[in-house]
Amino acid sequence: MTKIVRYLKSLTLNEIRKGLMLTQKYFFKRKFTVRYPEEKTPKSPRFRGLHALRRYPNGEERCIACKLCEAVCPAAAITIDSDVREDGSRRTTKYEIDLFKCIYCGFCEESCPVDSIVETDIHEYHFESMGKNVMTKEQLLAVGDMYEEQIAKTKQEDAKYR
Amino acid sequence: MSPELFQQIIFYVFATFTVGSAMAVVSVKNTIYSALFLVLCFFNTAVLWLLIEAEFLAITLVLVYVGAVMVLFLFVVMMLDVKQAKASQLKQSYTKAALLIAAAMLVELLMLFGYKLSGQIPTNELIRQEQGYSNVAEVGMELFTKYVYPFEIAAVILLVAIVAAIMLTMRKRPGNKQMDASKQININPSERIRVVSMKAEKGQGEDS
Amino acid sequence: MELLEFLIFDNLIYILAIVLGVILTVAYLTYFERKVIAFMHVRMGPNRVGPRGLLQPFADVLKLLTKEIIFPKNANKFLFLIAPIITLATAFAAWAVVPFADGMVLADINAGLVYVLAMTSLGVYGVIIAGWASNSKYALLGALRSAAQIVSYEIAMGFALVGVLVAAGSLNLSEIVRGQEGGLVHWYIWPLLPLFLIYYISGVAETNRAPFDVAEGESEIVAGFHVEYSGAAFALFFLGEYANMIIISALTALMFLGGWYSPFTGDSWIAQPSIFWFLGKTSIFLYAYFWLRASLPRYRYDQIMRLGWKVFIPITIVWIFVVAVMKVYHVGPWWN
Repeated sequence: MTKIVRYLKSLTLNEIRKGLMLTQKYFFKRKFTVRYPEEKTPKSPRFRGLHALRRYPNGEERCIACKLCEAVCPAAAITIDSDVREDGSRRTTKYEIDLFKCIYCGFCEESCPVDSIVETDIHEYHFESMGKNVMTKEQLLAVGDMYEEQIAKTKQEDAKYR
Repeated sequence: MSPELFQQIIFYVFATFTVGSAMAVVSVKNTIYSALFLVLCFFNTAVLWLLIEAEFLAITLVLVYVGAVMVLFLFVVMMLDVKQAKASQLKQSYTKAALLIAAAMLVELLMLFGYKLSGQIPTNELIRQEQGYSNVAEVGMELFTKYVYPFEIAAVILLVAIVAAIMLTMRKRPGNKQMDASKQININPSERIRVVSMKAEKGQGEDS
Repeated sequence: MELLEFLIFDNLIYILAIVLGVILTVAYLTYFERKVIAFMHVRMGPNRVGPRGLLQPFADVLKLLTKEIIFPKNANKFLFLIAPIITLATAFAAWAVVPFADGMVLADINAGLVYVLAMTSLGVYGVIIAGWASNSKYALLGALRSAAQIVSYEIAMGFALVGVLVAAGSLNLSEIVRGQEGGLVHWYIWPLLPLFLIYYISGVAETNRAPFDVAEGESEIVAGFHVEYSGAAFALFFLGEYANMIIISALTALMFLGGWYSPFTGDSWIAQPSIFWFLGKTSIFLYAYFWLRASLPRYRYDQIMRLGWKVFIPITIVWIFVVAVMKVYHVGPWWN
């Protein structure tokens, strides 16, 4: 008897109707999609993106070529050569980060005693040919110059949790 | 170009195709090609039937033979993985039977020509029906009045054949793990799942 | 010369109009499908190419047309190329007998219903030949599945059409629609409700659409019969599939929802029969295609077969008798 009832019930397509009604309900719901280039999701000040080398407000580069970042880098992505500058201070002659090797762990930033190497929150970048993945010192400094304001801001925001 | 000439051209084009594809059916070595040529042959025959205003029959030919029967043929041929026939194989065994059938058909054709020559079937022009004549209704009327017994008997024979085919192929192999879809669908969750309410457990090694 | 003029002016223009119309509709149907499914997934859908993504179909077409057609090794080139053409040709051929409005039909033939059934069932050749010519096991498996499925559902579909035929007393599509004149209650959907549902569901199965798309079940056989197709050849398959969907929807609208007739009665403008009613009714069923696709998971193959043979065919046979009895006793507003 229950079998017959069940068969007749199945003919009403009630379960399919229920499923269809559910999808129809969602049809009218507000959409969650973020329209990416125009809209972006909020980023944490701790976001670890493209690297940059910072300068002091007087224009002097912060990096003192202590090579702590090179030592701590788990992916061995950082290469540093250093020499004595005319004024007698130790400075880097070469500071390169291979962004293909880099795992964006942020250890370099944490190890830096002078807050020179930092990771900005820039994550939209690309390389157009082989070899461009190695960021030179000039490029890193340029990034730092360009985004100094923003870097300072995010570091300030994050400072109280450090 | 007059409509008559146009019709003649269509007739000869499609008649050539019919004969050509029919010959290809038996001469091509790949079984799949053979089946596909048969499809082509049916198609062209349907066009020829359309020319003599038998549109219902023509469409039914396409629907039944091309749309269903030949699909199953192809299906079987693809499943069976029939090896390409060798030339030596063709000459054996079936030749005598084939010759007999061919001879019978030749005689039939000759008789048809004989009737035509002696004027027993109208030959000069096709029988044209006036506008609004329904082929479908006419076929139906004939089938269910004049030919009702042959029609019904044929239907019963086909039914018996279907039932017999199903009976012959229906067997339960031991160890067959096939599932019964209706059984699976008609499952009632309450027969299978028991919802047990439990007290919340205290976490281990935590102060809560 | 008269004949040539007849062929060109009376037929060729109509044919062109229908074919172009169908192709354009297919283009926007893909856009519509993606939007509908996206909305049901609480997404946006295509919105990049052109305003609100309206040029997306053209971008897709251009992409497909400029891609290379790759022939698999040992594939039968002739059959490989002709398979998508067969699919497309049969899908377009069926449009010849569809009446868009009263008298707006290319070929008003008596056996229209059977013709449409024959043409839609021929589409399986494209699938089967494609599957075999591709020289790939996935393609062959997909083709075999599809062939068995289409042949099975064709029977249920045919029986549903027999019900319509009994109800209307004609195989001519225009006549069938004329039998439903007189507003909502006169439509055949009411006396033929089970047949209507079965026809539409079989139509979904016949066009190999979700939830009956085991012929191209991605998770099992990659993409089924068209795994090896790319570029323009794939585009033709796509076009054929969508043209078939439109024709199934159009036929459902014609046979069960009174084609070009308005659901209202009276003399106001809204009660006038017109092509827009027909197009509107067709769109409902096209929407239902996408709605089903967004809602239901794919059937298992043996369940598809069970549904076709053990559920649909018995119900249709029973209901044909019911319809015949109703017709003989002049039941309801339909046959008195």
